[in-house]
Amino acid sequence: MRRYTRLYWEFAKSHMKVMMEYRIDFLIGVASVMLEQFASIFFVKVVFDHIEQINGWSFYEILFIYGIAATGRSIHQIFFDNLWTLGWQYIRPGKLDRLLIRPVNPLFHVVADRLHQDGFGQLIIGLIILGTAIPQLDLVWGAAEIAMLVIMIISSGLIFVAINLFFATFSFWMIDSLPIVWAVFNLSDFARYPLTIYHKGIRMFLTWIIPYGFTAFYPAAYFIDKSGYKEFALWTPVAAIVCCVLAYAFWNRGLKAFASTGS
Amino acid sequence: MITVENLKKEYKLVKRDPGLKGAMKSLFNRKYETKHAVKGIDFTIEQGETVGYIGSNGAGKSTTIKMLTGILTPTSGKVTVNGLVPYENRQKNAVNIGAVFGQRTQLFWDIPVRESYNLLKHIYEIPEQEYQETIEMFTEVLNLESLLGIPVRQLSLGQKMRCELAAAFLHRPKVVYLDEPTIGLDIAVKVKIRKFIKEMNQRWGTTVLLTTHDMQDIEEICDRIIIIDGGTILYDGGLDEIKKQFGQKRVIHFELADKEKFELPSALNGQVEVLPNEEETKISLSFDHEAVKSSFVISEMMSMYEIGDLNIADPKIETIVEDLYNKQEQGEEHEKVLANS
Repeated sequence: MRRYTRLYWEFAKSHMKVMMEYRIDFLIGVASVMLEQFASIFFVKVVFDHIEQINGWSFYEILFIYGIAATGRSIHQIFFDNLWTLGWQYIRPGKLDRLLIRPVNPLFHVVADRLHQDGFGQLIIGLIILGTAIPQLDLVWGAAEIAMLVIMIISSGLIFVAINLFFATFSFWMIDSLPIVWAVFNLSDFARYPLTIYHKGIRMFLTWIIPYGFTAFYPAAYFIDKSGYKEFALWTPVAAIVCCVLAYAFWNRGLKAFASTGS
Repeated sequence: MITVENLKKEYKLVKRDPGLKGAMKSLFNRKYETKHAVKGIDFTIEQGETVGYIGSNGAGKSTTIKMLTGILTPTSGKVTVNGLVPYENRQKNAVNIGAVFGQRTQLFWDIPVRESYNLLKHIYEIPEQEYQETIEMFTEVLNLESLLGIPVRQLSLGQKMRCELAAAFLHRPKVVYLDEPTIGLDIAVKVKIRKFIKEMNQRWGTTVLLTTHDMQDIEEICDRIIIIDGGTILYDGGLDEIKKQFGQKRVIHFELADKEKFELPSALNGQVEVLPNEEETKISLSFDHEAVKSSFVISEMMSMYEIGDLNIADPKIETIVEDLYNKQEQGEEHEKVLANS
């Protein structure tokens, strides 16, 4: 574990050197993500200019959910973005073979191969949104609440990672599963709004099948009493761990299948 | 060091009928056929040996190397490298091996070469002092000094291959697999690379398994060759022996003023074979180097015809493999005849 932490730091250092060398790319990347996020928040704002509440949720409460999703997603985007490229960058051109003959965990290597600058834009925007929403909520913030918020955000990030890892793993059988990963990832947009506004089927789906509900709504619900999900929200870290374990087990199966076909 | 026993690898391939219709059909009704990439091979390689692993494309070379490195799991049979079963202990085995896979880089694309080496140092946990010594030596032997600060993607093929080779030997592995390390390189770089491989083999006793289509690579680096074709081993032994056995065939190409009139000089009858040559002005003669001297063939030709130019071709590894293959087939038929009679 200590070895991998140190190794990650070495990888990260060289990525940061490259980022600093291409400063303009870095800034454009960060700015474009921020712009994209602003656009979608602006849309919500416009809606709320005309109505007071959606299904009992005020603008700032929705903003809070949004903020947790954005921050959680930034963890995934900064550190685990390379999972997207598993098929076309690693398996198809045979680069994975190279990683397999190094004395490190191949998943670690794939992940450490990239540190994504755009994720920093996501992180900044997430923090700005949280900073805007939190003072407007009727909440008392103590150390315990802040710690809980951090745990929830990390859990949210891990669920994003686990879901992407799970679907990226299909690449071992089909060379490139990017379309599937994309399709699934787009479902996470649903989870940025209160799940209670959706039909029961969708709610169940986003809780038990593709658990994006735990990336924003449930963590936020912990802090908002009227949601009625305060206790259920405590399962979020558990859901994150279970998802990661399942996804990693699936990854290992995929790797094994890859070793016997070598496609 | 490396032992391989009755090693087999089979792939299941989807059988497709040609055309769009065939593609549609295979979408719903899949038929598989089994491809036997490696059909039960055996060999043992001792520490410090330099072995050329030769065969035509698709002969099973890469599949074997993938099994030796642990990337592929064999269908059946045994492999051990340095006492480890590679596909069961892939990461442990990785510490002891280095590899160059033709055109696939193992350096990190965007960052300078020096940074790549630094990352490899951490990946392989090479002690700092050993690392410094190694880098210094490699820089000298391979002339890397001016390349270390450049990102890999800006290097030319030859420069990249030199850096690549250094990366494969950086952690002083016990075995190095080199899959076509000289492909597409100019002569000067090839020479440098061969020299480097030999030097590392002598200095550290590194076992080298090399695949190549370049006979010169083999002659300068290897003292033993294994020839594989269609997934089975055709030959395993010393380089000198095979050259004696199969490499005496020489081919000389002559450029004639008038090809139409050519007829084999009578002195060469029975000993020299005329090979088909598509070029209008050229003819090619093939003969056994032991039985007839090249000088004799040339002087006979010169005395009868006006020769514009001539060129003596080295025996190519492909021809040797082909010869071997034919001989084996003939041998099998011969055995059949004997069995029948």
